[in-house]
Amino acid sequence: MRFEATVHATTRSAELHAVDSLDLDRVPDPEGGVRMLVGPEDLTRLVAEGYEVRVQSVAPVAPLDPGLVSDEADVRAWFEDMTGDARGEG
Amino acid sequence: MYRTVAQLDQLGGLLAQFFPQHCQRFQLPELSVLGRPVFALRVRAGAGDNRRGVLLVGGVHARELMNPDALIELAVQLIVSYRNGSDIVLGGRVWQATDIKVLMETLDIYIVPCTNPDGRDYVMTVDDLWRKNRRDNPETTCDGVDLNRNCDLLWGVAQGQTSCSPCSDVFAGPAAFSEPETRNVKFLLDTRRVDCFVDVHSYSELVLYPWGHVPTQTTDSTKRFTTLPTGTCQPITDPTYQEYMTPRDEQRFQTVAQRIVTAIADVRGRAYTPQTGFGLYGTTGTHSDYAYARHIADPNTHKTYGYTVETGPWVGNARDSFHPADPEPIKLDTKSGLLALMQQCICAIELIGVALLGGEHEVDALRRIRDDVLATTPAGRDWILLFEDLQTRVLPVVLADDALAERAASVVSRAGRAAADETASIEPELVADTVRILSDVARRADDPEVSAGVAAANEALEAAGGRPVAALLERLVARGPRR
Repeated sequence: MRFEATVHATTRSAELHAVDSLDLDRVPDPEGGVRMLVGPEDLTRLVAEGYEVRVQSVAPVAPLDPGLVSDEADVRAWFEDMTGDARGEG
Repeated sequence: MYRTVAQLDQLGGLLAQFFPQHCQRFQLPELSVLGRPVFALRVRAGAGDNRRGVLLVGGVHARELMNPDALIELAVQLIVSYRNGSDIVLGGRVWQATDIKVLMETLDIYIVPCTNPDGRDYVMTVDDLWRKNRRDNPETTCDGVDLNRNCDLLWGVAQGQTSCSPCSDVFAGPAAFSEPETRNVKFLLDTRRVDCFVDVHSYSELVLYPWGHVPTQTTDSTKRFTTLPTGTCQPITDPTYQEYMTPRDEQRFQTVAQRIVTAIADVRGRAYTPQTGFGLYGTTGTHSDYAYARHIADPNTHKTYGYTVETGPWVGNARDSFHPADPEPIKLDTKSGLLALMQQCICAIELIGVALLGGEHEVDALRRIRDDVLATTPAGRDWILLFEDLQTRVLPVVLADDALAERAASVVSRAGRAAADETASIEPELVADTVRILSDVARRADDPEVSAGVAAANEALEAAGGRPVAALLERLVARGPRR
């Protein structure tokens, strides 16, 4: 299991930038905060370090939705559609 | 929809097969960690060697899926536009066929759509949030190296988002350029002329330029990364350290980044932010900073202006931000931004002087004046800015007319010879010819910005006739263009 979580400093934790030293997977945060993809052990570690951790969503380890992957026919058709006139001149 | 590695490779192969005069596809020297070939494309039109070069790389971080698709599509669109004489329409931004023609005929455009094929395949088959390559790190259960921390620029300095821990998603690897995927990028920088480089990432809607490890300053040239230790696995020890950049380069980075941002906004109004890499968070060993840093570490290497573009917005969670269900609008933004970068990579003087005339010495003399004289003051840098803005607008006009191009080449050549001797007087005839050709170009361009810029240039030139070159330069560095 994996979670997307934001991390916040508390009076018990180090300053927020020190979270970089924990070697976790940080992803961009729209507010400029600290947002991470973390497993259960990472969550435990962050809390033990005194940080407040707010789990935003579950981010399971899973392949890309197959519905988002192009199929072979689409790729060829796209190329032929895009280049039809240009190839004709060749 | 996102293409698989094989599909991206297939499209590159089809381009090279159907358009061999415009697309050369070649396998880079190193296989990926898992043995996959990595391909580059060279896109261009017409003849001529020693062109200025652009290198675009995508897919360095595996989960940032949009960008390899955008890059291969851009290659297709460039060639189709050139072949058909058709515009490239990207939402509200129309890139005129004449502009694309100039890009295709003056640049070598190198594209590595998928730098990290193992990672992309892993994202599609195992974990769609995987970032690194697929290196098996010995003596640990953690796999992968962050390719965008693995380059030889302060490698292994654990500044901000850089780590020496194999289990970290920003693991810098066991050594600089330990990974075949980064060595492939280095190979291109080593063996091709690359003036402009973009590493395309996601997400955050940013255009980043150096420096990434600390804040940038332009006043103390002794503060160079070359003086710092590498491989320390610690942050830079001096918390006040800031990295030097020449004012001219800082201005250049900011100007080009702003033009990329504007070209993106033209598509559908997305407001990307231009900033230094450090403004996002601290990093070392990144591709774009390495590309720029090379000429400082080794003055024998060619200067490359390196950028990182972070495409796409935050959409509420990381998964959908890295690979949204509909990436098409974001790809339009990206392509427009990259076309703007390419356009900014052209140097009109170099193109006209060297390509049309073979006047390398004359162009060198003008380049020295730009870099050694004008770039030293704010007013002089404003003149450089003006020229860079004008050249983008007028180059298609000049190149579309052989007679005009020939006159321009003659003026560049004579100006270059004059520039070589600052004590010599500027011939009034040269001034008159320059003013005349600039006025002709402004008339044909039919662009108020061009007219205003040409008027400013002509005002300065007309005061220069019969006086020493040095007097003109003194004026230019003291007083910027009046616009």
